[in-house]
Amino acid sequence: MTAAALSPAPASFDRRRTAQALLLLAALLATGRNILPEALLRPPEALVIPFAAWINAAFAFARDDLGLMALTRAFSDLVEFGLDVTANLLYGKARWPRLGPIPWVVIAATAATLGHALGGRRLAAFAGGTFVWIAVMGQWQWAMETLSVIVVAAPLSVLLGLALGTLAWRFSVAERVLNPLLNIAQSLPHFAYMIPVVVFIGIGPKAGAIVTIIFSVPPMIRLTLLGLRAVPPEIIESGKMSGATRWQLMTRVRLPAARTEILIGVNQVIMQSLAMVVLASFIGMPGLGQKLLQLLQALKIGLSFEIGTTIVLLAILLDRMSKAAAHRQPVHHAAGATFRQRHPHLLAWLALTAIGFALSALHPYFTEVERKQALSLAGPVDAGVDVLLTVVAPLADWLRWFLITWVLIPLRDAFLWLPASAVLVFVAGIGWRVGGRRSALVCLAFALPIALSGWWDRAMITVYMVTVSVTLALLIGLPLGLIAAARPKRAARMLLVCDTLQTFPSFIYLIPVIMLFGVNDVAVIAAVVVFATVPILRYTVEGLRSVPPELVEAALMSGANPRQMLWQVKLPLAVPTLLVGANQSIMFSLFMVIIAAFIGTQDLGQEMQRALSSADVGKGLVLGFAVAFIGLLADHVLLTWSRNRVESLGARR
Amino acid sequence: MTDTDSVISCHNLWKVFGPGQMPELNERTTTQDLQAGGHIAAVRNVSLSIKRGEMLVVMGLSGSGKSTLVRCLARLIDATSGAVMVEGRDLGAMTEAQLIDLRRRKMGMVFQSFGLLPHRTALENVAFPLEMRGQDRASRIARATEMLSLVGLKGREGYFPRELSGGQQQRVGIARSLAVEPDIWFLDEPFSALDPLIRREMQDEFLRLKAMVAKTIVFITHDFDEAIRLADRIAIMKDGMVEQCDTPERIVMAPATPYVAKFTSAVDRSRVVRAGALSRPVNGRSVEGDALAANATLHQIARIIACDPRDFIPVRAADGSVGLMDRAEALDILLGPDLPETAA
Amino acid sequence: MQRQTRLLLTAASFALGAGMAQAEDSTDPITIPIHNWSSQIVMSNVVGQMFESEGLAVEYVSTDSQAVYEAVRLGDATLELEVWEGAFGASFRAAVEKGGIVDVATHNAITREDWWYPSWTKEACPGLPDWKALNDCAAKFATPETGDKGRFLGGPVDWLKHDQEKVDALGMNFVVVNAGSAAALWAEIAAAEKTKTPIVVFNWTPNFAEAVWPGEFVEFPAWEEGCDKDPAVGPVPDKTYDCGNPANGYLKIAAWDGMAEKWPKAYATLQKVSFTNPQIAEMAKLVDVDGMEPEDAAAKWLADNEAVWKTWVE
Repeated sequence: MTAAALSPAPASFDRRRTAQALLLLAALLATGRNILPEALLRPPEALVIPFAAWINAAFAFARDDLGLMALTRAFSDLVEFGLDVTANLLYGKARWPRLGPIPWVVIAATAATLGHALGGRRLAAFAGGTFVWIAVMGQWQWAMETLSVIVVAAPLSVLLGLALGTLAWRFSVAERVLNPLLNIAQSLPHFAYMIPVVVFIGIGPKAGAIVTIIFSVPPMIRLTLLGLRAVPPEIIESGKMSGATRWQLMTRVRLPAARTEILIGVNQVIMQSLAMVVLASFIGMPGLGQKLLQLLQALKIGLSFEIGTTIVLLAILLDRMSKAAAHRQPVHHAAGATFRQRHPHLLAWLALTAIGFALSALHPYFTEVERKQALSLAGPVDAGVDVLLTVVAPLADWLRWFLITWVLIPLRDAFLWLPASAVLVFVAGIGWRVGGRRSALVCLAFALPIALSGWWDRAMITVYMVTVSVTLALLIGLPLGLIAAARPKRAARMLLVCDTLQTFPSFIYLIPVIMLFGVNDVAVIAAVVVFATVPILRYTVEGLRSVPPELVEAALMSGANPRQMLWQVKLPLAVPTLLVGANQSIMFSLFMVIIAAFIGTQDLGQEMQRALSSADVGKGLVLGFAVAFIGLLADHVLLTWSRNRVESLGARR
Repeated sequence: MTDTDSVISCHNLWKVFGPGQMPELNERTTTQDLQAGGHIAAVRNVSLSIKRGEMLVVMGLSGSGKSTLVRCLARLIDATSGAVMVEGRDLGAMTEAQLIDLRRRKMGMVFQSFGLLPHRTALENVAFPLEMRGQDRASRIARATEMLSLVGLKGREGYFPRELSGGQQQRVGIARSLAVEPDIWFLDEPFSALDPLIRREMQDEFLRLKAMVAKTIVFITHDFDEAIRLADRIAIMKDGMVEQCDTPERIVMAPATPYVAKFTSAVDRSRVVRAGALSRPVNGRSVEGDALAANATLHQIARIIACDPRDFIPVRAADGSVGLMDRAEALDILLGPDLPETAA
Repeated sequence: MQRQTRLLLTAASFALGAGMAQAEDSTDPITIPIHNWSSQIVMSNVVGQMFESEGLAVEYVSTDSQAVYEAVRLGDATLELEVWEGAFGASFRAAVEKGGIVDVATHNAITREDWWYPSWTKEACPGLPDWKALNDCAAKFATPETGDKGRFLGGPVDWLKHDQEKVDALGMNFVVVNAGSAAALWAEIAAAEKTKTPIVVFNWTPNFAEAVWPGEFVEFPAWEEGCDKDPAVGPVPDKTYDCGNPANGYLKIAAWDGMAEKWPKAYATLQKVSFTNPQIAEMAKLVDVDGMEPEDAAAKWLADNEAVWKTWVE
């Protein structure tokens, strides 16, 4: 009765009851497992739909009969032309225009000048320093190979994102079509579309570029759409009243006015491109990623750590630069300023470039630092890792024994023991709880195909690993976040650690983790937790920091002590943000669990590797979709929940 | 009033928001009829006509439909029914190209929150409409510079909007709206976003400009004092309908509806009512001494009225004809009517 | 008659000449895929530099070692220098069936893939390399996840080694755990080395691990033809896989089937290429142990071994 009185609307009460009924049914199915008919435990063989065969048929049709390949190949040749130009300029690949390679001092000077123009002295020092580091560590060639692809892929991705975002903004049909595609593009594991890309695009830098584009374009589309929607109507009306045609309105009013969002989109594109550096090297992206895999394969942790550092430095640099560009506001020059006053950076750049070319003419060291002349941190790093491994080894052994015997094996068995029907009903119940019938149907629409694909057990193992990892990540990330958010300076430092961990190539974690825990689920989960904790930490800090100050003041005036402040005021208000963090954490975990197949798992990721080696497109995509659907299901539940919380908080305020 | 001398006019104009099939719209359509179909009328059956060189102020509280009305007049939104005529052409029937051409030559608009393009300097903002119509760079920069100095922003050409104060930004907005030398000038609450001191200053500036440029003006405001100060005629809107459209004096002296009366009750009439409005035909009475100018407000001639010994003071209209003003009536307006208690 | 013969000869020589003209190699670069282990990268560079000495253009492209067969089939990559029977046999065979890829040559090197242990393991289990002795000290290989049974760390499942079948057939007290990548195997060995923990893993020769960690293969009942299909073959009468792996797997060279036509000279060279186990180990060692860059290692190898390859390029 009280529940009914408290709940804002009878509809929500009904919703709660239906959800409870469904969850109860799920519990009944699980407890009565032993008397259930076989068909309710696992989908019977007859019901399994041959998705893979269908996809393979469609794929063969598109490739052989539709002539799609000619089209994609023509497009990829176009991309390749761009790549050849940048490859020539940056590292002297023998292609038109045959001018390169540009000496490293010149590029470092260019980066520093750009950094100064965008963000002042500190950014200038960081930009210049990053490139000097790359050069003296002897990674110039590799880094330039990587950049030569990103320099082409990122702008293409931005253009494509702008075009598609505009399309989605203009036509609601386009938005409805794009939305699910974007969701899938962002949650589909990369290994799933590697073979199709190899067939339709080929291998080499162009394939790397195109995979990078596929992966980085979704945020650009979303932010373009957001930016165009956020343009104040009066600005548009003023454009119309100025007699602008539709095209003029788009190019000179709407897009420039949406500049900030669009530049954040550009920032996202760059970050995603760097995140793809290692994975794209599986299909021919040259440079740092490829070198990293090669060194890891030979267990050269120190050297691969150097490369990882370079990737992190590049990511942070490009992030800072693009953010500075996004937040930079134009500043006017005094009337009658001379050319020199108006373009100090251009002149400084010209001067520095000239000096750079002169230096490189004097001594080849300033063109490229040979590997032989390079500095290296590998020795100390290797020694450090060695000591660390030795020191924590006893603890790791105990942890390994404890987790495997008492946590992981029982949990894993429990997940596999659950009847499929119980899981499906449970999923529907959760969906119903957060968003009524519609959400229940959405959840089922994601879960049912997994059951019918015939990969149920594998999927459950993936779910089990993600569940354990995210739980551990919550246990670690929440307290750390609470500690970090207490002081603004500490929070800023913690966020920098998050940035670093997130951009550090995930493959590097795999080796030390195996050396600590061996090839088993503990190693997998340890690697995943590193990754999954980052968003929890980040969003805890952000959530606590974004509590409106007047509420904090109101609570203080009500005499709340710090403890009450945290539990009664800050945490409840931060819940929606925390849920978004948990959602991100699940996404990151899924991504990493699939990569952890390189350690050795028995989940969807392992099967995906197998599909890759037999070039089985259909199977690879089915497995990929299974992973994507797990992610999208969690995404739907958590985001709907978060939205509900925001609404109820909004109503309360 | 016929369409021949009106520059812009609308007839039975309706703007109804809501889903699906629109109900039939005529003068008998009521709010209830519309609500039944889930519709809301922002503009209801408005007919107005503005003459060349005239300034009409549309006044109403927020939600009264005044901004929607002006957007229908500029066809920033399409009216649901009714017609808008600009210099004898039906605005609703124009193609997009014709409409764009019309805006490039005939219309200018000033917006409440300025509507400046954040990525362009003041100069580039003012030059924007000229750029749209394809004017060459040199001539549009010359024109924009001229416009900026006209609004008193000489020397700020290179500033970006966020580097300017609110008043300065609106000056840029005004300069932009006048850059193409439009015949019709729309101003949508141009001074509402400014603080009171600046608002006053901008109103003076506006009057100065208005005298220089001689445009047909549609001015939107929610500030009745502003309306009285600036208007040739005022249209008072409520719930999408025009309650009364008349000269400021008539609105103050003869409110058509209780709503208008409530509005005008707090107004200092002496600042609105001009001598001419109190002037009656001579009717054989004697005309003694100097005549007052008919277009002076009572407030301006308060001292004369108070000190003048005559009971009937002659008033000379612009055409030279003379009438008589009852001094007692004028004093009533200046000082308020004699109340019995105070008399006692 | 004579005249006719001469005519014929002339015609033939013309035809030959025309043929010769056609047989000129294309100036397009030959695309050589490289993967993430050193011997393959160095060997690719060695062959690439051989082609370059013949005046051909060469380009290297990094690819996944499984996806590469699809790329070779489509002509995006021109050739593949290390087709391991064990690791890539399945992918290679699948690609051959689809068409577009040809089996060009087989290296002199033989590959062996089987259960293997690093030398320190022998101290814990002195009876090695005999498999029965290994089985007797199974408990020494136990880990938390395998309980009291020994753990055998296998290669990735997609390498299709029949380790589980072997354990079943020989009734061994071992559990097979599959690593996800070669790197995972190396990491385990490196970790075991620190504490000299006994370990038995899947390994193969030739590779760089031999140079870093000395060790031996476990000796199972010798491979006999049919051991994997016929239960009767091998010591256990009712089981298949009751034997070790063949000790002589192939290492092949594959190429795109259009290569012979487009770069006939290079193709002719490629057909002659054949490396031995020591040569391959040497190539890997130059990078993995001496820390050279692959292209420098290749140049050094070519300089040191002119006698070997000069004949291949005529």
